[in-house]
Amino acid sequence: MTTTAASVRVSLDAATRAGLDALLLSMADDEFVIGFSDSEWTGIAPMLEEDVAMSSLALDEIGHARALYELLAELRGDGNDADSIAFDRQPAGYRHCRLVDGGRGDWAMTIARRYLYDTADAARLEAVAQSSWAPLAELVAKLRREEKYHVMHVSTWLERLALGGDEARTRLLAAFAKLAPDAATVFAPLPGESVLVAGGVLATPLSEAEARWRASITPDMVRLKMPMPPPAVAPERGRLDHSDDFRWLWTEFTTVRRLDPEATW
Amino acid sequence: MTDEAVRDRADAGSDEHAGGEPFEVFRQEKDGGPMVHGGSVVAPDALLALHYAREMFSRRGESVRLWVVRRLDVHELDDLDVLAPPLDRSYRKPGGYVMRDKLAAARERAGTSKPKASSGGRDTTGRKGSKP
Repeated sequence: MTTTAASVRVSLDAATRAGLDALLLSMADDEFVIGFSDSEWTGIAPMLEEDVAMSSLALDEIGHARALYELLAELRGDGNDADSIAFDRQPAGYRHCRLVDGGRGDWAMTIARRYLYDTADAARLEAVAQSSWAPLAELVAKLRREEKYHVMHVSTWLERLALGGDEARTRLLAAFAKLAPDAATVFAPLPGESVLVAGGVLATPLSEAEARWRASITPDMVRLKMPMPPPAVAPERGRLDHSDDFRWLWTEFTTVRRLDPEATW
Repeated sequence: MTDEAVRDRADAGSDEHAGGEPFEVFRQEKDGGPMVHGGSVVAPDALLALHYAREMFSRRGESVRLWVVRRLDVHELDDLDVLAPPLDRSYRKPGGYVMRDKLAAARERAGTSKPKASSGGRDTTGRKGSKP
């Protein structure tokens, strides 16, 4: 990275730093949680090739989370590293959105969640890519190159399930009915968001990113005769309430850390 | 982790190519290099075959270009006997002509030494070739 966060940190006022903290944490936690959820397919995905593909995609998300946590650690500059942010919180301290909170589910659920998340994430990344904060803009430019492929891959799967016969379509519509009401929580308002927008750290408010996301998925939804996701219910709590499924996932992904905080590999 | 997904995968495994049909994957390791056969993937269509080829043959950046071809579109010569020459063909190969001693003698007569490999000249004396 050409601009270090530490050097930029000093030029940020406290309100902007707080807003950036919330933004980075929300993005990193989203990637981290969906990455771990999808890694639950390793070994049992519907076919061998997709097993490798989904595992690789899940690892991409963990990599994105790691890069975002690292940037957050630099921003905070309090001596806690990326691993500490990722693993040393209680479940209630995570700020991922409700869309990715519900656990893996069946294949249709995974594809529906990935489609909704990846397309929404693309719209969010577009707003962040034009950030006036150079370290974030530079990182997001790299993330978008991998996320482009994620959208490509999951879109082909969405189409296969939507047009793939009765059982596939029924399962997909059931998954959509469960997940789509939470899809817009990706854009749930963040504390300090207005400060970020005023300073150009976020190029547009997340609500505008949501509008762009809706426009971007409309052609797919029309072509595949799928319902458009409704607005999020209680968006202000979109990143605060977590399910038992997430608490179970938390016990899984913190197992090693809780056994031995010094463990390295 | 014993759940429906495990059974689904096991069921799929009993049915040959349940996930689609085989595609042969060709990859280029660096720009300008040849496309070489890398292996195969099973996929329902060419688009997913390309996605899977990316994951199998380039997720660690091993390839700069990928092709997939339906295995059904690959045609194999069925009479392998025509590939096995029944008679001695060594006379077709440059290796059939041993030039080294003659060349050494000619150089001695001319009073020149053997050119160095780095001089740009290609010394193919005694080299075994495979072209007819």
